[in-house]
Amino acid sequence: MITAERKPLEEIIEYIRPFQKILLIGCNECVTVCSAGGRKEVGVLSSLLQMSFLKQGKNLQIREHTLERQCDPEYVEELVSMVDGVDAILSMACGCGVQEICRRFKNKPVFPAVNTKFMGASERQGVWAERCQGCGNCLLGVTGGICPIARCSKQLMNGPCGGSTSGKCEISPDVDCAWQLIWDRLKALGMEDRYEEIIPAKDWRPGRAAGPRKIIREDLAE
Amino acid sequence: MMEDFEPVIIAFCCHYCAYTAADMAGSQRRCYPANVRIIRVPCSGKVDVIHILKAFENGADGVYVAGCLEGDCHFKNGNIRAARRVAYARKLMESVGIEGERLEMVNLSAGMGDRFAEIAGRITEKIRKMGPNPIRNTIRPVA
Amino acid sequence: MKTADPFQTSNRVLVIGGGVGGIRTALDLAEAQKHVVLIDRANAIGGLMTLLDRTFPTNNCDLCTISPTLSESSRSQYIELMPLTQVTRLSGEEGNFSAQLTTAPRYIDLSRCTACGECHKQFPECVNFNPGLDHRAPTCMRYPQATPQAFSIDMSRCSDPKALAACCPAHAIVLDDRQTQSEFQIGAVVMAPGASVFDPAAIDSFSYGRDPDVITSLEYERIMSASGPTQGRLMCPSDGRTPEKIAWIQCVGSRGMQKGAVSYCSGVCCMFALKEAIVTKERFQDSIEASIFYMDMRTFGKDYELYYERSRKDYGVRFVRSRPHSVFRKNGQGQLTVTFASEDSSTMNEETFDLVVLATGFQIGAETRQLADTLGITLNPHGFAQTGAFDPVATSRPGVYACGMFESPKDIPETMTQASAAACRASAHLPAPEALSESEDEQTSERDVTDEEPRIGVFICDCGESIGAVVHVPELAAFAAKLPGVALAESVGHGCSRESMSRIQEAIVEHKLNRVVLGGCSPRTHEARFQDVLQRAGLNKYLLEIANLRDQDAWVHLDHPDKANAKARQLIWSAVMSVKKAHALADNYLPINRDVLVVGGGVAGMTAALRLADQGFRVFLAERRSMLGGTANLVHRTLEGDDVQAFINDLRQKVMSHLRIQVIFNAFIVDHSGMPGMYTTGMQVGPQMFYRQIRHGVTILATGALPRRPDGYLLGQHDAVMTQLDADALIEDAPEKVKAWDTVVMIQCVGSRQPDNPNCSRVCCQAAVKNALRILEQNPETRIFILYRDMRTYGFQEDYYLKAREKGVIFVRYEPALPPVVQAAGSLIEVAFTDPVLGRSVMVTADALLLSTGFISDDESTEDLATIFKIPRTSDGYFLEDHIKLRPVDFSKPGFYMAGTAHAPKNIRESIAQAEASAARAMTMLSRENINLGAATARVDSQKCAACLICVRACPFGVPFINADGYSEIDPAKCHGCGVCAAECPAKAIQLMQFEDDQILSKVSSLLERMVA
Repeated sequence: MITAERKPLEEIIEYIRPFQKILLIGCNECVTVCSAGGRKEVGVLSSLLQMSFLKQGKNLQIREHTLERQCDPEYVEELVSMVDGVDAILSMACGCGVQEICRRFKNKPVFPAVNTKFMGASERQGVWAERCQGCGNCLLGVTGGICPIARCSKQLMNGPCGGSTSGKCEISPDVDCAWQLIWDRLKALGMEDRYEEIIPAKDWRPGRAAGPRKIIREDLAE
Repeated sequence: MMEDFEPVIIAFCCHYCAYTAADMAGSQRRCYPANVRIIRVPCSGKVDVIHILKAFENGADGVYVAGCLEGDCHFKNGNIRAARRVAYARKLMESVGIEGERLEMVNLSAGMGDRFAEIAGRITEKIRKMGPNPIRNTIRPVA
Repeated sequence: MKTADPFQTSNRVLVIGGGVGGIRTALDLAEAQKHVVLIDRANAIGGLMTLLDRTFPTNNCDLCTISPTLSESSRSQYIELMPLTQVTRLSGEEGNFSAQLTTAPRYIDLSRCTACGECHKQFPECVNFNPGLDHRAPTCMRYPQATPQAFSIDMSRCSDPKALAACCPAHAIVLDDRQTQSEFQIGAVVMAPGASVFDPAAIDSFSYGRDPDVITSLEYERIMSASGPTQGRLMCPSDGRTPEKIAWIQCVGSRGMQKGAVSYCSGVCCMFALKEAIVTKERFQDSIEASIFYMDMRTFGKDYELYYERSRKDYGVRFVRSRPHSVFRKNGQGQLTVTFASEDSSTMNEETFDLVVLATGFQIGAETRQLADTLGITLNPHGFAQTGAFDPVATSRPGVYACGMFESPKDIPETMTQASAAACRASAHLPAPEALSESEDEQTSERDVTDEEPRIGVFICDCGESIGAVVHVPELAAFAAKLPGVALAESVGHGCSRESMSRIQEAIVEHKLNRVVLGGCSPRTHEARFQDVLQRAGLNKYLLEIANLRDQDAWVHLDHPDKANAKARQLIWSAVMSVKKAHALADNYLPINRDVLVVGGGVAGMTAALRLADQGFRVFLAERRSMLGGTANLVHRTLEGDDVQAFINDLRQKVMSHLRIQVIFNAFIVDHSGMPGMYTTGMQVGPQMFYRQIRHGVTILATGALPRRPDGYLLGQHDAVMTQLDADALIEDAPEKVKAWDTVVMIQCVGSRQPDNPNCSRVCCQAAVKNALRILEQNPETRIFILYRDMRTYGFQEDYYLKAREKGVIFVRYEPALPPVVQAAGSLIEVAFTDPVLGRSVMVTADALLLSTGFISDDESTEDLATIFKIPRTSDGYFLEDHIKLRPVDFSKPGFYMAGTAHAPKNIRESIAQAEASAARAMTMLSRENINLGAATARVDSQKCAACLICVRACPFGVPFINADGYSEIDPAKCHGCGVCAAECPAKAIQLMQFEDDQILSKVSSLLERMVA
């Protein structure tokens, strides 16, 4: 899933300071699952903003609404009736959602309320970790199912650097050395020979290097 | 002005301990300040961060969540979760400039009528000294 | 009300006496699906307790604690209620009696009587309710909440029966009503006829009956009672002025003091007087001076010592240790004069009081003796039922049981305990019924109110003075009437009385109410009652919200009535706002596992196990030691001289050989899980400590207390110093040593009634007297000194106290501030103490020093068990019962009961009674096939669910799962209702029923709204 974290309150407050009526929109997909922008976080943020403005003697009007998914136009359409009455829109979705809202409502200021972080997995309740950078050319098949691009600090392709100590990365003892993980796993699988294969220099074009990407399914596209 | 200040305090009380203790304070006629208003919940773990924030947003001068003693939760660990949420909510409050000390987690058992009254008295006094919730005066009057 | 008995066999129990004891017995039997015939000589049930204003130690009014019980009894389909009825013959034998019942004419057709009170109004001179303070009457309803709710007429006192009959708008008065006789086949009899109050008119010197300002404690109750002759205004009967000084005189008619008095102790009068003194100060005026004249303050019950301390420290009640000689009014004086000798001088003192209350004791009246004769049971020399030494409710006739005051003088909790014990014993004579499925027997049609605009009814109790004295109820009702959505708001007096409940029920129908707010006492105790009312009125029971105006407002803010009133308005407002969001819910049911786990293999645990096993239930008895018997193993004789070891050996033998009891030795409880009715408890067992799990539906905790061995007085340092338990063994095993003792000193209250163990250990006074008498049996020449603070030989134990005095045992009182001083003198012990009568210090050299060390709670073990089972304890480490008066063996957790000294110190006989009571209470649960779990379960809105797994991970019981449709599902039968998932769900897709977010948030906002009051 895409993970996100709520922005510092001061930043959000600065965005909406000039406005009276705000539409605060949550998203029931990824940001709900990572507890950053679902119905509940919408409620929490709304209350915090309310209090913050009340403290300055200002009465903010916030309308709360959570969409099934902000990155699909049909869902965004739900907002049409609500948007007219407000001065600005605050979105708690990832960057995709925020932009979709901007695209649909050209005359309304739209602001993000979360920082979109990474594509990750939940390690356990309340903890999410980066797992994928969307390089466009998946290597997991040769790296024992552990991604050196997302999980090695240096994105090394052929084994660890000299900073790997006792299985940990030199940047922090909390970060596992991805190459240690890869090695351990290949060994456990009896596939140590894979480690011997040299991975040639990575072609970054399927990733961001060739500009913004798009996927078109011809059979589905209209 | 501060002399006359009567804080309003919301106490979320677990049915199994604090709420029973509050009743027991009653049967022992153990008086405590009338500033405390109790909301019964089945477990302190039921208290949502939003409930706490909404209380402050609506003008509460103090809030406390009262759960069972550690290890005594009827639902294993609801009180521990409540304590974590209270700590988190305090940070949220600080971020909007409301003192975190206005919110507290307390633990007691059903038999502690006296302690309930003591806590109610202590928290009321603490909040009285802190003065009103900073947003209280700007809240729009209701009904 | 009459249920046709399908069998016409002996499948039922005859309960004689409709006081709290008889009602408790009947209810326990009925809840266990045994048929009961409940008869009472009077025209309504309720007994003595309904005359009381408030009960100790919680000082709440009795009507509201008793009336839920009362209505329950009249409603129950298993109880046939026959007022005005007596037994006139009992033939046959246990299991198959034939009883002849004679019912006196009521002259009122109950099916027509609406209890409108018209006859009462038109013949006001005819009301007989307030004993001794009001005059006799032909029509008489004993108290406003009477069950059955109807009047009765005493025809012999009616001068114009026709006029009386004509005044009844319902034509319910039947002038030619006749006495009827009926014959019942019954399996067992429980006698709970109660006792009567000593009439102090027999004592000339107290002026009772001649001076209106000398009254009995029961009459004082009526004066304080809101339903009494003065409507709860405290006044001197002579001229209506408010008394400034009130004296209580203890032991009137008890402890052999006056003419016609009995020799035993009536057991409850001390607490009775303390309560009256406290309530007087609390409710009327703190400036009223309350003085209690007493001999020994006998506050031996659970937490009673704390109550005594509070009366002194917090309320300033004055205690005078003296026996007043006389009470009289000097010519022309407004006040009464009391003459008394103080303890430290032989001179007579005189003091004046406005009101003198005589704490009159209890006796068995002629009618009850007659009843005993009819039933063919033996009475003891005092006229009370003779029951077994280790069989506290069994009379001399098999199949006939006795409980309550009729067995010996006792207070309400002990009466309740014995009543349940009697139910346990009686039910053994009936065949076991088939388990009842609860969901089947509540078939009521409910009105669908989903689409209706809220029409809220607000009903506010004054609870007598409990709420009414602090909160202005009519004003509060007027305030509520103006709130949006409120269709009706009114005050209802005692809301939980039959009368008010049926009024509420009618109002719901009449005003088409679809939501109800009740302002009264705690929902913890009374929610179920009022939910029933809604149900009877055709509303779903969850459309109710209770504002806790009593326990959490009036009682705790009585020092600031203005604030209490403001808060009451806020609470009512909040309840109104919240109930608007309520909607109809259905209850969930679960099957019950009918096995029983008893923890603790002492007398209480073994007795409970045996009683349940005898009635067909499988019992697991877990004992942490490798032997059964507990503390009783250390005791050889009772005060009455019965052989404890013979009894224990017999009991142990029965338990070990019982086919349905499995004893698990060396068992340490380590974990516990499950739902009401289906629990699993894990224990480590045996020397290898292997792990074992027991599945059970009911748990009885009988883990006992510890005999105390405190430091001090050279205990453990000198051979001549021992505890009463050590001495008990020595007298039994080495009488020759005891025979050689010239002088023995005993010190009472060692390790009890002190800050680290503030309560009374209850058993030590009897232990001291017992050992003194046994020592004298060995050597009548032994000089024995018993140094005491208050001798607490309650009930018939007083006989032995007297006997010890007669045999020359010297009782010397000491003050806790001036305890005896002990030092070694070779093999002897020197004890120095102050004799308050002689007023000087005395030194005694003794061969033995016996310390009455009593009990202390087994803090470590109750703490562990409380944590594992999630059950509450008192501050001094005993288990805490659900209701100190009315549910003395039940935990608040369903299916959990307690027995023996784990509840509070008590002697063997009392432990047995409580064990039998816990068995009876357990049977009420085990007789059902399933248990109602209520409706507070979590519900998922699949539209909102993001299938994020947070609830799956957060649930402490692993209930939610992501179903085949891809959203979270929570099985209501498994959900425990904590609401953790609802609080953590990031999509706000989960709501906990009864505690939904919008309900909580509307409470939050309405409790904070600043009102223009």
